[in-house]
Amino acid sequence: MSSEPGRQANFRALAETYGADLYRYAMWICGDDALAKDLVQETYLRAWKALDKLKDTGAAKSWLITILRREYARTFERKVPKFADVETVVVPEETELEPDDRTEIGLLRRNIMNLSKKYREPLLMQVVMGFSCEEIASELGISKSAVMTQLFRAREQLKSQLQRDGVTGNVHGLF
Amino acid sequence: MSMDFSEFRRRLGAEPRSKDPDLLRARDSAPEFAEAAAEAEALESRLERALRLPEPDGLVEGLCALPGSTVRPRRRRWLPMALAAGLLLAVGVAGIDRLLHPRWDSVEAYVIDHYYHDGVKMLAQEPAAQDPARIQAMFARFEVEAAPELQRIVGVIKICVTPDGQGVHMVLNTESGPVTVIYMPGTRVEDRERFTFDDQRAVLVQMELGSAAIINAEPQDPAAWQAFVQDTIRPQAGNS
Repeated sequence: MSSEPGRQANFRALAETYGADLYRYAMWICGDDALAKDLVQETYLRAWKALDKLKDTGAAKSWLITILRREYARTFERKVPKFADVETVVVPEETELEPDDRTEIGLLRRNIMNLSKKYREPLLMQVVMGFSCEEIASELGISKSAVMTQLFRAREQLKSQLQRDGVTGNVHGLF
Repeated sequence: MSMDFSEFRRRLGAEPRSKDPDLLRARDSAPEFAEAAAEAEALESRLERALRLPEPDGLVEGLCALPGSTVRPRRRRWLPMALAAGLLLAVGVAGIDRLLHPRWDSVEAYVIDHYYHDGVKMLAQEPAAQDPARIQAMFARFEVEAAPELQRIVGVIKICVTPDGQGVHMVLNTESGPVTVIYMPGTRVEDRERFTFDDQRAVLVQMELGSAAIINAEPQDPAAWQAFVQDTIRPQAGNS
């Protein structure tokens, strides 16, 4: 078992390395700033208590996501409304974007929140958390092939929806 | 054996940034493949940009401070201890007590905790006329509706955490100053229970499908808004 200062240092490293990404992940699964913060806080509280069980720091990201997903399922899943705060979030640099680009980001955010959980979760794990398909498969308890199919379909849905929303190749070179 | 276009698209859609040699070889094998790869990269950049949300101020500092502040389990709060020093000056002795002890043993404790978590920030926002449809949509989540006379004076509104899940947190623009109302679906309270904290006065109001806390600064009496709140947040038709 680590000494208390050692535990504290390990915990701090987990917070500094993954805290922001976990918050983003939480925001995208629950759509609510206050709930996302609560989820992350609860995740880290649980992580602190169980820190001695984390033998491989390389597995920390998956471990934290597992805690967060369980906490979300246990506490919030049935109560959380579809998209709320993420729709209105404006990242500072976005204020410098062209109106078309801002519109596109808004549409994309709405469409991401409208993806079914089956497609949204692996996509978030990949893009927000940087998980590989193998890691996602392990986290979700499905095959790598199934993960790849879900990721492909998630992107196809987003692409189709953007086309339906009128975001075309003429403007952005996208399609 | 070379990869066909359909398989290439599937793999690209799953892992647009993959450095797999087979995929890269296929990409360079024909203009059609290269074009699909460029499109996938364009979508990925936009996806990353859309998913990039700002990190809340003090998030990591607050997490780092958790072991020292909340070894005891449960009850959620979000006052990062690392930021607490400055805040404590504002919240006073009662606030110190709240930071050091478990929360939400009562609705009263929740209200005080949430007020410092969110209420102060809500009050600091510039009040603006809110879209009635947005107000109604927020209340509709909890099977209640807001009467027009309430909608007209909502200056700031958001969904927030409440003792039994989520609720609606509002700042009302009134002639006597801002009044904070937190609607707490499913939460039962002792009707008309009053309490004070720092320079704030609060009253709890039992309603049909939940309850509300009404808070305002002294010397205003929040009980003056009790009947108004009870009358203007009511069950949707068919839910009473």
